[in-house]
Amino acid sequence: LKREIKKIISAVWVGIICLVFSSRLSTMKAASICPNDQTGCHLLPLANLFDRVIQHSARMHGISDDLHSEFELYFLPSKNQIGRVSRNCHTSTILTPNGKENAQRIAREELAEIILKLLVAWRDPLWHFHQSMSQHDEFTNFSSNKSLEMSDMVHELRKGVLKVVEKMQMLGIISNSVGDTGSPEALLTSDSAEWRFMKDYDLLYCFRRDSNKIQNYLKILKCRIVPKHGC
Amino acid sequence: MNEKISRMHFFFVVKHHRSKDLSRAQISNFPHPHLSLFVFFSVPQPSLCGATMRKAEGGILLRLLLLFMLHATGTSYSPPGKPTLTRCRSPEKETFTCWWEPGSDGGLPTKYALYYRKENSDKVFECPDYRTAGENSCFFNKNDTSVWVNYNITVVATNALGRTFSDPVDIDVVYIVKPNPPENLALTVLWDQTWPYLHVSWESPQKADTRSGWITLIYELRIKLEDEDEWEEHPAGQQKTFNIFSLCSGGKYLVQVRCKPDHGFWSEWSSSQYVKVPEYFNREKSMWVLAVIFSAFALFIITWLIHMNCHNLKQCILPSVPGPKIKGFDEQLLKDGKSMDAFSSLVGANFPPTTTNYEDLLVEYLEVFVPEERELMLEETKELHNDSLKFENSTSDCDSGRGSCDSHTLLIDKSEEEKGQQPDQQSSEIKMDGKGQDEEDKYLTCSPENVDSHQLSSEKVKTWPSSFSPLPEYSPIPLQQPNSHETSKQPCLSDSLFAAGPLPSHFPHLGHNTKDEIGSSYWQFGISNKQLHLLHQQMEAHQQLQAHKNASVSNIGHLQLPSVRFTEYVEVQRVSDQNMVILHPVPSHPETSYPDWHQTEEYSKVKCVDNDNGLLLLQREGVEEGMDMCSYEELPESDPSKTTNTTFTSPCSQPAPSVQDERVVGGYVETSVFTLPTY
Repeated sequence: LKREIKKIISAVWVGIICLVFSSRLSTMKAASICPNDQTGCHLLPLANLFDRVIQHSARMHGISDDLHSEFELYFLPSKNQIGRVSRNCHTSTILTPNGKENAQRIAREELAEIILKLLVAWRDPLWHFHQSMSQHDEFTNFSSNKSLEMSDMVHELRKGVLKVVEKMQMLGIISNSVGDTGSPEALLTSDSAEWRFMKDYDLLYCFRRDSNKIQNYLKILKCRIVPKHGC
Repeated sequence: MNEKISRMHFFFVVKHHRSKDLSRAQISNFPHPHLSLFVFFSVPQPSLCGATMRKAEGGILLRLLLLFMLHATGTSYSPPGKPTLTRCRSPEKETFTCWWEPGSDGGLPTKYALYYRKENSDKVFECPDYRTAGENSCFFNKNDTSVWVNYNITVVATNALGRTFSDPVDIDVVYIVKPNPPENLALTVLWDQTWPYLHVSWESPQKADTRSGWITLIYELRIKLEDEDEWEEHPAGQQKTFNIFSLCSGGKYLVQVRCKPDHGFWSEWSSSQYVKVPEYFNREKSMWVLAVIFSAFALFIITWLIHMNCHNLKQCILPSVPGPKIKGFDEQLLKDGKSMDAFSSLVGANFPPTTTNYEDLLVEYLEVFVPEERELMLEETKELHNDSLKFENSTSDCDSGRGSCDSHTLLIDKSEEEKGQQPDQQSSEIKMDGKGQDEEDKYLTCSPENVDSHQLSSEKVKTWPSSFSPLPEYSPIPLQQPNSHETSKQPCLSDSLFAAGPLPSHFPHLGHNTKDEIGSSYWQFGISNKQLHLLHQQMEAHQQLQAHKNASVSNIGHLQLPSVRFTEYVEVQRVSDQNMVILHPVPSHPETSYPDWHQTEEYSKVKCVDNDNGLLLLQREGVEEGMDMCSYEELPESDPSKTTNTTFTSPCSQPAPSVQDERVVGGYVETSVFTLPTY
C-alpha cells in the first residue's frame, strides 16, 4: 500500500511540474526578444548566430591543430627545404586576403563567399583523410575520432555559415549575390583531383591554416556587421 | 702584378658596403711580420677596364698572401661560426621581427645577412630592415608581411675567410604572435554593503587590433599582498574588468595583468599596480572565533561530565560479561582438589558408554539381491593408459536404493560360470558390447600377473563393519594399474564409472578424498569367461577419488565377526575348503589405517573372480535403505596357495550356498580392499 501511495504522489508531482512548464513555455513564446526596442536590438539574433558559428570554427581549428601536432610527433617530416617548398595546398587557387587591410578592404559578400568556398573545398579531402586514417592501424582511435569530427564539422560549419548569410540577406545587410551551393562547387570541380596527391601531413598542415583563415574571416565579418556585440 | 700591388690600399676601418661587388677583407704583409693589419681591399671599378682577369689573379695572390701571413703569425682565424635564429615574434599579426644569435666570428669582422623565401616561390629576398629592432635583428613591416604564408628564413654570416649559413627556419606569422602587455591597469576599491572588494580594469595593448576582430585576446591577472611571495592567478577570458573579493583588511596589494591571442604566446606581465585596502571589520572572522570558543567549551563540559560518571557509563555501555558456568559443576570442589567429585555431576547416565551393543548402532541394512544380470564390461581402449578410463554407463540403477543383488554388478558364481561359460552368463561379466574375449586388448584382464606385480599379497583386504565403521584404507588390490598394462584392459563395468588411476600411489589420496566425501570409489571386477578379470580399482584419475558416502550398512551384526569391535576392517583370515572366505577383523595398522574413511563404502560387490581365483570386489555405493544381506557364496579356489589378493564373495545369485560364519553379505561386502593372506 505504501508503494502505491508513493507512486501516486510522484505521478502527481510530475503532472504538476509538467503543467507549470508548459504554461511557462507558452508564455515564453509570447515574449519578445527586444522588449524595449533598443537600437541594434534586432541584430541580436544575428550576433548570436555569429558567435555560435565562430565558436564552431574555433573548435574545428583546435582539432586540426591537435591532429597536426600529433602527426608531427609520429611522422616528423623531412626538414629539408625542398620538401617544404613543394607543398602546395589545393586551396591556393582561392584568393584569400593575406593581411588585415586586405581583409577589411574587400566586400562583405566576397568575404562570405571566400569562407564558403573554403568550406566546400575541404569537404571531400577531409572525408578521404578520415577514411585513410581509420584504415591505418598506427593511428589511435582517438585520432581517428578526431578526424571524423573534423570532417563532420566542416559540414556543420558550412550549414551554419549559410544560415548566417541567409539571415544577413534577410536583414538586407548584404546583397543576394552571395553564391549558394552552386557556384563554389562548380569552381572547384576542375581541380578536384589535386588534393588526392597530397600527403596526409601536408593535408593537415593546409587544413590547419585554412581553418584559421575561416575563423579569422568570420570574426572580421562579424565585427564589420555587428560591431557592438563583443568586438 | 706590380701594378696590382701598388693599388693596394691599406685601411684600418672595415666599413660595410652594400655594394654587390665582392668585398674582401684581406690581410697583407707588412715588413713587420708580427704586425697584422686588416686591409680592406676594394677594387675601384672604373679604372679596371677589362681587369677581370687581373682581378682574379689578384684575388688568388692576395689569398695566398693571406694564408701565408696567417701561417707566419700563428694567430688562428677561421670562417665565422654558425649563427642561429633564436626567435621571430609578431606583436599584432601585421608585422614581425626575427632575432638571431651570432656564432663565433672567427677573429675577423663578420657580417650578417638575412635572406628569406616565401612559400612556393624560389625568389630570395633580403631583410628589409636591420635596424629598427636593434642588433642582430630583422624587422618586416606591413608591406613585407603576409599572413598565412610560410616564410623560410636563413641568416648568413660572412667574414674574410668564408661564409656560414644558419639552419633555415619556417614560420607562419599567425603562430608567432606575442602581443604587448595590456595597458592602463586601474584598481579601485568598491564596497558591497560592508565588504570591500577590488575592481580591476585594463585595456588591450594599443597595437593589437581587437576592435576589428583581427586579433582576439584573452587576459589573465594576478594579485598578491606586498609581503607575500606567491601570486594568486585569475584567468579573465576576453573581458577587460575583474572583481576580487575577500581582501585582507588594511592590506596592500599588487596586481598585474597579461594577455594572449587565441593561438600564440602570452605577453609579458604588465607593470604592477598598488592598492591599499581600508580597514574594516571582518564580521565573518569574529563569528568563527566565537563558534570555536563555544564548541571548545561545550566539549570541555561534556568531557567533565563523562569523567564524573565514568563508572555508571561504563556499566551502561559495556556491561560485564558473565563468567562461564557449567551446570552441576561445582568450582569449589575443583579448587579443593577433589577432581573426581567435581566431575561426578557431569557424568551422565550415558557417558561413557559401557555396553557395546552394536546392534543399537546399526542404521542401515544391506539389501540383498539375487544377481541375475550380467556384468558389463567396459571397454578400455589403449589410450587408457593414462588415467582416464572411459566407461560406458551401465544401465543399472546403481542408486536406485535397491542395492539389489539383482543388479548387474553383482558377482556371479565364478566357480561354475567361469569355466567354459560364455560371457553372457550371469555370473560372468559380459562386455557391454559383447566383444569376445579374444579382444584382450580391450578388456581388462584380471590377470594374476598383474596382481602379483603389485605385490598385493602384502596388502590386506579389509572389510569393515557397517554403520560407523570407517573405510579402511585401501590398498591396491588385485587391481591392475592401467599404466602397467601392456594391453589395454577393460575394467569391468560397474554402476559408477571411474577412471582408473595408478592405484597404489593413490591410496593415500583415497584416504584424504574420502574425507571429503567425494563420490564413490568402485572397484570393478570383471569376470571374463574363463578368467577372472581383475578390475582396477577404478577410481578417478589422480585425485578424484570418489568416495561415496555410504549409509552404513549394517553388516556387522550379520557378519558376526567374531572379534569385531569397532574395527574398521576385516581381514580375510583364510579360505576354507569350500572356498569360503572367512573374514576376520584386523587390528588396525598404523600404516594402513585411514580412520577417516568413515561411512564410505561399506560394502562391495564382488565383481569377478580372476583366473587365480582372486576376488575382485566391487565397491559400491551404499544403499541407504535396508537391504537384505546376500549370503556368502562359496567360491572355488583352485589354487589357494597362490597369493591372490582377492577374496571373493559369491554373488547372490546363489543364495542357497551356505554362509560360513553366518555372514550374510550376499553380493555386497563392505570392503575396501580385499587381500587374501598367503597361505
